[in-house]
Amino acid sequence: MPVEDHLTYDVGRMRRERLARLRHHMAAQDVVATVLLHDPHVAYASGHVGPAVDSTHAVYQRPVAVIGQEGPVHLFTDHPSSDLAAEIHPSVFPELDESVAGLVEAIGMVAGTSGTSRLAVDEVTGAMLRSGLLDGFDLVDAGRVLGPARLVKTEDELACIDQAQRINEVAMEEVRTACLPGVRRSELAGLFSSRVRQLGVDDVLIDPIFQPMPRNLSDGPRTSTGHVAFPTGVGDPLFNEEDLVWVDTGIGVEGYASDYGRTWVVGRDPSSAEQGLFRRWSAVMEASLATMGPGVTLAEVGRAAIGADRGSVPWLPHFYLAHGLGVESAEMPMVGTDLGEEFDEQFVLEPGMVLVLEPVVWEDGIGGYRAEEVVAITDTGWRPLGGWPSHLPFKP
Amino acid sequence: MTTELVVARRRRVLDAMSEREVDALVLGRQDNVGYSTGMARLWTSGTRPFGAGCVLMAKTQRTHLLSSWDAGVPTSVVFDDLYPITWNPKIMASSMAAIGGLSTARRIGVDACSPGFIRAAARFAPDAQIVPCDDLMARVRTVKLVEEIELVRSACQVAWSGVEAVLDRPDDPTPIAPALVAMAALGATIPSSKPVVRSEGDTTVVDLGVVVDLYEGGVGGRFVDGRREHAPTLVDACRDGATHEDLARSSTGPWLVRGLGMGYETPIIDAQRGQDLTLVTGMVLSVTDGDHRDVVAVTSGEPDVLSTPPYPASRLVDSGA
Repeated sequence: MPVEDHLTYDVGRMRRERLARLRHHMAAQDVVATVLLHDPHVAYASGHVGPAVDSTHAVYQRPVAVIGQEGPVHLFTDHPSSDLAAEIHPSVFPELDESVAGLVEAIGMVAGTSGTSRLAVDEVTGAMLRSGLLDGFDLVDAGRVLGPARLVKTEDELACIDQAQRINEVAMEEVRTACLPGVRRSELAGLFSSRVRQLGVDDVLIDPIFQPMPRNLSDGPRTSTGHVAFPTGVGDPLFNEEDLVWVDTGIGVEGYASDYGRTWVVGRDPSSAEQGLFRRWSAVMEASLATMGPGVTLAEVGRAAIGADRGSVPWLPHFYLAHGLGVESAEMPMVGTDLGEEFDEQFVLEPGMVLVLEPVVWEDGIGGYRAEEVVAITDTGWRPLGGWPSHLPFKP
Repeated sequence: MTTELVVARRRRVLDAMSEREVDALVLGRQDNVGYSTGMARLWTSGTRPFGAGCVLMAKTQRTHLLSSWDAGVPTSVVFDDLYPITWNPKIMASSMAAIGGLSTARRIGVDACSPGFIRAAARFAPDAQIVPCDDLMARVRTVKLVEEIELVRSACQVAWSGVEAVLDRPDDPTPIAPALVAMAALGATIPSSKPVVRSEGDTTVVDLGVVVDLYEGGVGGRFVDGRREHAPTLVDACRDGATHEDLARSSTGPWLVRGLGMGYETPIIDAQRGQDLTLVTGMVLSVTDGDHRDVVAVTSGEPDVLSTPPYPASRLVDSGA
């Protein structure tokens, strides 16, 4: 199955527009320098996207970005992405005490070496704490400037998400035909990762999830909410014909995440009861989408979903009905989280925001249906990102 | 991984806390959480924002773990000692405040932190000093337990299965794809490092790393006709007491000797770093010289190579160098 190119993107323009947004929020909050150690933050601010490796490798070898209100972005890495506008410096290892002098120099490039100026930082390592190199600065979480900048996507960002989502969908629709009795989760994960590579994407951002779900909440595992546990990432289950499998995968294009979620059956057609779950899920999805658009609050979207499911809350209580998607696979805005109703009432959707809708319907004894679709808010409503493949073998 | 190993690792962490007079240890790094609790969280790539993944308490000797369910939680952690995942900093602060003894702690150790965590800690533990303890964890983890060494050895064999798959399919347009399938067939679906596969004339260069049961394995080399060139002398130089100078003198190309266990660890020794470090018995190291990589355990004698090829030594070839 070929991957269709629907949207094209201009990486240079995307990097310039993101940096302008970040600096706008820095100026508005009197932040003189932003020091970034977290991969998605570095990617957003500098354009550098590192490989999708284990967190321990990412931590020790991580790139660091230092951004002032003007001038070049200073990026510290030995293997920068191509064609960056940033000024490239040798890597600093912020985990190591012996590297602190390099960090002091890096921060000094834009913030001076002392004073009481406001500095945004996303992580403080042990070596940074021991050295006291941030003492004297008015420290704020970098999320305060990155959060609002990342909330509304540029057209190029939307195109990256769309592209990642389409490739993810093509790979998963092929893997679905291999989800058969006697097959293990790891085999499907290997198939997915290799297929994604063949489609030209190197970065699998999450260990692929193919989780057979219980039919009754009392079958466990025990949870703090009383609802089901997902995604647990535990064990390497062997599928059998009775299973109802919740799947969830994500890959990266230019640092932008996709998010594919579906419910699969194993080498058979769904029962009429399972098919009924899918119809219920579809009604929740349709009602949520019908509400979606600029000027709408998160609370209105949540209420539409609850109304369509006759008063039950059709999402996992430890998660959300919907979450944002960008350089991280779950970011703001989020609908229906434990941030509470007041948060959802005050948060208004704007054109350029992205939401992954992931309703869950559950009926004890039958089980649950969960799937995800990605939308971008437009001037008049919303449009899909990705190709929205069918939910076969479930039928509308 | 056995329960005994989980218990032994946690004992080491609690003992180190006692030595440093740390009342509570808040760990954010997944590998530190895994080391101290045995919890294998769903793997995601790259760095994660700092958050309290687990809290170890010196006085009660209890482990409090971030999880909304008991799946994957070691039996030594009771359900009431779990605190749920949350998007709400106020709920997280309440979870912290509810941990017995944390609100009156004098010294709270962290393996990293953020401005938000420092501010929150000032409220849920007003008398506490935040103490960097990344070095405490690194030191505890440096010398491996016997079972850890065997887990690394097993993970290296999984990496070898990936290498063999690459060599078996020399004309595959996506040479890494067969390796991913082969390693997944052994249940391994988590990459540790960026995979390297490239051709240089008759030579295929491969470097693969994988995480199996929380422990990393890896191997790399230059292969001609399916056979790997001999290990460089740097591998054999990884002996008890070896200094930066010893290692530098043994290297032939760009080189890196770094800790390997639950992923990338200290010590980190290369041309620029680790000038004052000395190897000691019990360390497990990933040893890279040029395109060659082996994983070794430092012993009192010759290094124990954990990444030995799954074929007879007669298949080894001399390097052209």
